Amino acid sequence: MKIATDTITAETSGKSGPLGARALELFAEMQDAVSRHTDTIFARLMVCQWVAAVAAAIWISPRTWAGSHSHIHVHVFAAVFLGGLITALPVFMAMKYPGRVLTRHTVAVGQMLMSALLIHLTGGRIETHFHVFGSLAILAFYRDWRVLISASTVVYIDHLVRGFFWPQSVYGVMTAPIWRSLEHAGWVVFEVTFLLISIRKSLRETLNVAVRQAELENINETIERNVSERTAELTREVSERSQVEEGLKKSEAQLAKAQRIARLGSWEWDVVQNKVTWSDETRRLYGFSEKDHGAEMNRCLERVHPEDRAQVQLALTEALRSGGPYICDHRALLPDGTIRTMHGLGEVVMDERGQPVKIIGTTQDITEADRAEAALRRSEEQLRQSQKMEAVGRLAGGVAHDFNNLLTVISGYSSMSLRQMEKAHPLRKHTEEIQAAAQRAASLTGQLLAFSRKQVLQPRVIDLNDSVSGMEKMLRRLIGEDVELCTLFNPELGNVKADPGQFEQVILNLAVNARDAMPRGGKLTIQTANVALDQKTRFRNRDLDVGEYVMVAITDTGVGMTEEVKSHLFEPFFTTKGVGRGTGLGLATCYGIICQSDGDIRVYSELNCGTTFKVYLPRVDAPTTAADTSIDPDALPEGSESILIVEDEAAVRRLAASVLRGAGYRVQEARDAIEAFTLIESKQPFDLVITDVIMPKMSGKELYDQIKVIAPRINVLFMSGYTDDALAHHGVLGPELSFLEKPFSPAGLARKVREVIDRPKARSRLMSKVASNGNGVLPASKH
Amino acid sequence: MKTLGRITLCLLWLVAAGAGAWILLNYENTPSNEGETPLDWPVGSHITRQPGRATLVMFAHPHCPCSSASVEELNRLLTRREGPATVHILFIHPHDVPDSWTETTLRKSAEAIPGADVQLDPQGEEARRFGAESSGYVVLYSPEGRLLFSGGITAARGHAGDNAGENVVVALLNGQKTSLKHTPVFGCSLQESCTNSTP
Repeated sequence: MKIATDTITAETSGKSGPLGARALELFAEMQDAVSRHTDTIFARLMVCQWVAAVAAAIWISPRTWAGSHSHIHVHVFAAVFLGGLITALPVFMAMKYPGRVLTRHTVAVGQMLMSALLIHLTGGRIETHFHVFGSLAILAFYRDWRVLISASTVVYIDHLVRGFFWPQSVYGVMTAPIWRSLEHAGWVVFEVTFLLISIRKSLRETLNVAVRQAELENINETIERNVSERTAELTREVSERSQVEEGLKKSEAQLAKAQRIARLGSWEWDVVQNKVTWSDETRRLYGFSEKDHGAEMNRCLERVHPEDRAQVQLALTEALRSGGPYICDHRALLPDGTIRTMHGLGEVVMDERGQPVKIIGTTQDITEADRAEAALRRSEEQLRQSQKMEAVGRLAGGVAHDFNNLLTVISGYSSMSLRQMEKAHPLRKHTEEIQAAAQRAASLTGQLLAFSRKQVLQPRVIDLNDSVSGMEKMLRRLIGEDVELCTLFNPELGNVKADPGQFEQVILNLAVNARDAMPRGGKLTIQTANVALDQKTRFRNRDLDVGEYVMVAITDTGVGMTEEVKSHLFEPFFTTKGVGRGTGLGLATCYGIICQSDGDIRVYSELNCGTTFKVYLPRVDAPTTAADTSIDPDALPEGSESILIVEDEAAVRRLAASVLRGAGYRVQEARDAIEAFTLIESKQPFDLVITDVIMPKMSGKELYDQIKVIAPRINVLFMSGYTDDALAHHGVLGPELSFLEKPFSPAGLARKVREVIDRPKARSRLMSKVASNGNGVLPASKH
Repeated sequence: MKTLGRITLCLLWLVAAGAGAWILLNYENTPSNEGETPLDWPVGSHITRQPGRATLVMFAHPHCPCSSASVEELNRLLTRREGPATVHILFIHPHDVPDSWTETTLRKSAEAIPGADVQLDPQGEEARRFGAESSGYVVLYSPEGRLLFSGGITAARGHAGDNAGENVVVALLNGQKTSLKHTPVFGCSLQESCTNSTP
């Protein structure tokens, strides 16, 4: 197949490598397909030709004759058998071995032989000779020049043999030269030549198709490879994108969670389109619904508290105008009416022309922080107040100790002097003034100690109805005729444990305040009630625990007070009464006393309407303890017992000793606790030791503890103007201790001494009485 | 089947086909029997002659397939001739067959030849006079009654186309001289006794 090979070589010379090889492979496949197809054509054609040959023989020369007799013509046998023989092998080869070289050569030879047979059977008609040329053309379907050579060779041999043996049958003459065979062959060669040209062209086209198909395959392969690579790349990208999206979702979830935790939401205002979008947390913070997303700014501002709306709008406008940051704390009014405090921040985004296009911002719910800050402020204020109270308390304590000693001396000696003076004595009035001044000074000192909660309370169970009703007469006198006093007592009122004197001081101070708030008269109402607090409440940074309380409300119909006044109401030295009219210690004293009694005092006031002070004291179930009211305040009870006075302040010590000796007692003096301890250890039989609390070397409390060890039967009476918690816990004296507050009067001292000495005796008598009754029940006290 | 086997098979097939073809060719080119043709126009012949014109007589078997080529060649040569001639085509008519037996396509083809006189030759008497034993046998006599040519005008059995006999007859009719006076004839036997003419 040289032509084809040359053609392929020439055509594929421009293609190298796998492409050329693939083109040749495709070319071979195409050729094989053509050969197989042509084999099929010839297999069918040759069978048809055979049938046609037999038909032609039967039609043209069925019989041969001799006179009136005949028999089957030789042509019929030739058509059947020779035609069958010629047809058989090519058809067999075409069906069994299609595409093989030998097959198509067999077909070529058979086809040419069939042409010869048909020519013979048709009587050598010139028309039948066209079968030869037609067959050659069909054989050219193989696109194999060798097939045409084979066929041509058969034709030539046929002519050569017949021309040699039977020249007339070929050339029409009885004798013919050998070259005449070439004349016939020449026509065959003529056709074959063009067929070869056609075959070459066809092969070239086939090769071109193969090359194009190879290129197409190569392109397809390249495309498929690219597609495959791109698909893998896309798969990888999709996977990576999926991971990124997953990470993004996780990050967004974390951000959303962080926003939720921080109560910090983000938002964006598209200024151009006037659309506001936000994160979920922002939506939650402002109580927006899903459909609100993308709403206009004015719609969003509806969530801002009406009082803050203008401020927010101004901040936004200013940020857009200046390009500066948007910072605005405001309150949000949620749909359920809740008000939250928000801290808004934002940045303005400009376009390339410097025009603002959007604001991106955040909003944080700082309600709790705001509250905490307020609480902190209150705590700081409280601390400041405490520090202030502490400072005042220290001052008061420091002053009170020495000052009370001095007042004790002044008050004591003036009292003693008055006892010895005739009523007409010219110095009596002066002495009374001295005593009154000492009492006012003592009261002032007491108030200083009271508001700074440094005073010593001696609480007992009392009925506040009794306490207030006992004060009514004094209160009416105090508030004057223009003010009506009204009391509303709860008959089922519970008891409280408080220092009755201090409580009365509270009521007194509040009543004076109410009076001053009603300069043109009014109504003062004192109401008592039982109050149960089922939750912890706070007022002025002071908590009241859950529990039962007894409340005393003092209400006036006065001028009321402003918030500013209310905020400083209980501060010491704060007064609205003007210089010389108030010390500024009244309410501070009240507050100190009540707080020291584990209670609280709260104020409710409206300007020009009036004020209510509510005093809360913890309710106790214990019965009231009756006060001894049978004692004459001016009487000096007498006694003969032995008393040791321990006092570092000589004037006070001498005063006390003088008073007690005057009352019949046997008195020894000690300058300090060490000296007193020495005297006690010397086995001197003291019935009572009166000791100061604050002393150098050893305090009165330490002396008390020592006495209880070495001589437990000796009674001890403390006296002090300021104990600094040396004796009492938070100012509250224990029931087993006896205390006399400085400054004291000679009568007060004598009464207290008698009371302390007599207390064990009274207890002993009571126990004997109980034992003699035999029922073991103590007599009931007053409730 | 191995390649060698296939090649062997193909060669055997080629040999067999070649042999068959050879036999066929040999049959095609083997002349039929011929009698002895008188050199002068037989006296007892009933075939009419026209004065001054050559007389051509073809003897044919009505059913001989090979004679179609002979009639066709006769028709062709008559178109090529230039000199005057009287043409007769005699179809054998055996005594044991009806007249219709002679009415064949071949006879019609012969009758269709312009100027040709078609006649039946009962019992083949005329054929015997002229020594014609095979169908397609042609004799040509000059106007003077002298034999100019005898034999077939086909190249082979039933084979139309250019042939020596035809060319000689045309030449003679055209007044040309030829050295060839006789060609072989290919056709069916006119007489049943002529066994040699049987193909």
